[in-house]
Amino acid sequence: MSIVTVQLGQCGNQIGFEVFDALYSDSHCPQGLCSKRENEVYQASCKERFFSEEENGVPIARAVLVDMEPKVINQTLSKAAQSGRWKYGQHSCFCQKQGSGNNWAYGYSVHGPRHEESIMNLIQKEVEKCDCLSGFFIIMSMAGGTGSGLGAFVTQNLQDHYSNSLKMNQIIWPYGTGEVIVQNYNSILTLSHLYRSSDALLVHENDAVHKICAKLMNIKQISFSDINQVLAHQLGSVFQPTYSMEGSYHYRRNPLGELMENLVPHPEFKMLGIRNIPQMSENSLAYSTFTWAGLLKHLRQMLISNSKMEEGIDWQVRPPLSRLPTLGKVSLNRELHFNTSIANLVILRGKDVHSADLGGFKDPALYTSWLAPVNAFNVWKTQRAFSKYEKSAALVSNSQFLLKPLDTIVGKAWNMFASKAYIHQYTKFGIEEEDFLDSFTLLEQVVASYCNL
Amino acid sequence: MGRRRRRVDRGAAVGALPKAIAALSRTLPAGPSPEIFRRAKFDRPEAAPALWQLLFRVLSPLSADGASASPAQGEPPSTEAQVRAVKSELRSQGYPRRALAQLPEDGSQGSRELLLALAWLLARGPLLERLLAQTRVRLGDEIPLCECEALARPGAPVPRVEADGPVDIRHLQWLMGKLRFQWRKLITSQQEQCALLGKIHSYTRGCHSDRSLGHLSVAETELLRDAEGGQQDTVLGTCPPEASQPTFVPRIPERGAGEWELVARELQALQEELRGAAEPRRAAWEARVGGWGPEWSAVQRASREAVGLELAALQRAWERGGAAAQPHGPCRLVKSDAGASGGPGLRAAQVIEVLRSREACLEAVLCQLQRQCRQELARLAGALPGLIWILPPGR
Repeated sequence: MSIVTVQLGQCGNQIGFEVFDALYSDSHCPQGLCSKRENEVYQASCKERFFSEEENGVPIARAVLVDMEPKVINQTLSKAAQSGRWKYGQHSCFCQKQGSGNNWAYGYSVHGPRHEESIMNLIQKEVEKCDCLSGFFIIMSMAGGTGSGLGAFVTQNLQDHYSNSLKMNQIIWPYGTGEVIVQNYNSILTLSHLYRSSDALLVHENDAVHKICAKLMNIKQISFSDINQVLAHQLGSVFQPTYSMEGSYHYRRNPLGELMENLVPHPEFKMLGIRNIPQMSENSLAYSTFTWAGLLKHLRQMLISNSKMEEGIDWQVRPPLSRLPTLGKVSLNRELHFNTSIANLVILRGKDVHSADLGGFKDPALYTSWLAPVNAFNVWKTQRAFSKYEKSAALVSNSQFLLKPLDTIVGKAWNMFASKAYIHQYTKFGIEEEDFLDSFTLLEQVVASYCNL
Repeated sequence: MGRRRRRVDRGAAVGALPKAIAALSRTLPAGPSPEIFRRAKFDRPEAAPALWQLLFRVLSPLSADGASASPAQGEPPSTEAQVRAVKSELRSQGYPRRALAQLPEDGSQGSRELLLALAWLLARGPLLERLLAQTRVRLGDEIPLCECEALARPGAPVPRVEADGPVDIRHLQWLMGKLRFQWRKLITSQQEQCALLGKIHSYTRGCHSDRSLGHLSVAETELLRDAEGGQQDTVLGTCPPEASQPTFVPRIPERGAGEWELVARELQALQEELRGAAEPRRAAWEARVGGWGPEWSAVQRASREAVGLELAALQRAWERGGAAAQPHGPCRLVKSDAGASGGPGLRAAQVIEVLRSREACLEAVLCQLQRQCRQELARLAGALPGLIWILPPGR
């Protein structure tokens, strides 16, 4: 089943390119560590999901590119075409001549309705190329102008026109010390709108990925391209093919659907975080070997202690000894820095994957009291290695990962709102104070829900 | 001369009998060996259990995919249960012999009686054809037209989870959400299947030897493809082309007009009797209840309205559904030109119409149930002063 990706704004388009490139490279990687036949099936499965076929055989990404200015889109198109391995569709992009000046309200209330028909037509054309549509990825930044406001509008439209299809928004969480003054306003407006119309919000934190580049990849001058490649690697390690069930060698047909069913069925808990291990530069790869026990031990501690990467993990954090019913009680766990999970999905790729022991993730102490590990924990496997890593593990988690960042952003936005700073930029284009208040209410509810796990 | 001819006939029949028994033995589910049949003819007790089991299998309702609808315990029922079931089923089908009903429940005797019962069943209706139809390979792309078989089957027991202590509502919301996602996944899969069926039906136009069908089904395409690869004998070669007929339609035995008269009169008599019994009881009840005042009559009115609505809905569904006109069980999907007319079977438009009306009925029932829930919640909320309802985020 196929996934159609909508790339929005500068952020969405640059990341989208890296994602397709990573998926393509991995599926054509010669060191798959599996039989030729299996590799072919893996390739075919990835291809059907993310690329469509053209006569001359060059795969075309199942994507729609949207931006209010042409520069980034043109760069993206040419980068893809230059590689000669895959490309974007000739008529899959929509752009205008000028930007929207980082104004969320302008993106949502003006650009959106004005260009709704054109954008939805492009998406419809891409959907028609699919034999079977599993759902949509929408890649966008949370705090920018075009990407976020327009992204919120487009997601709402997808909800209206494709209500049975699944929608996952890949959201780029801005740097804490970001440059845009109103980024907190943009963030809360984006999040509250997406919470209503999207099925899952998979959050990528710029700060976290930046640290990975610095500490693990040893990159001196970190560019956006480096960051985006790490991000793409994380996404690829989740959505590349995996066996449909224990003991089977058939690849699952609908990973997006299964992920959603297992992680985000509850309407109040839609925020997902992603972690992966190991992460290193290509030079170091050749000299490293890992055991599943070691990898999983680290990954588990990353989950429990809310660590963003495998270095600097706080090993002091332990699960609580008793799980008390939590209704109404202030979470003690916050003080203990223990990250309570609702549900987790671990994806294992590589050699001897069937011997990996996942008992540590099935400990009920990791999870909230109202969901037993048998329902809360899922694992996907394949012995086909991912992107030259002999063994690799990824974790998609619906847990308190984003509780603190979310709380921080809401707090900052509220402080600004209390003094009505910069509100006129929004009310000028139809986003009233009411809308802000609605957003605050919704997000406060989300924070409270995650807090009371 | 007549006598000689009879002897010749009997000789031919006796010669054919072993072959017939052997065929029966192969065809029947849990088919007993021919030796069992022979022993049963002599009423040997050791043949009885096998024949009880055979009759049980033959008489129990078989689902469309050929699997026996055994109770969800997963184990075959005990001999006593089988014996009772067989006796009950034969009785309801009108089997006349009392001797069978009087056989002991431990299943140890009566093999000749059972053989007679089997013969009666075989002679009565197309038993073998029905059994064979249940288990044959289906060549067409089939869709079920109605769910009466599925509804009649006893379903798996609903897992009852006894909650020790209050149940966290978040768990329920989680489960509801899971169900919704599973539904969406199912819809997507179904759409994919339809798209692929459409493609195969289009691409194989003109390939089927049966002109009324015109194109191949998925199963037929795969058989041909495998045959070309030399992997197996063409089953298609040996099977006659399938006419687009639904599977076995249960035949209502013909009765004479006189019999219907009799039945109608008996029903009328029964109705009179019931009315006679009900009237005094109702009067007595109303006398008791009448003094309860307007509140009670409001309740009465509400219940009467509710019943009236449900009856009306049922009637509408029955009339619009045209249930009598529709065949039961799965039917073969055949793609034909829009202009083509005639030919047996239903048009897709008709089936869609029926499904739409059923959907509307179910929606109405759902709305009513939701309204009842809301009223109940409001009543509960009214009982707790100071309770605030916070609705979940939505649009």
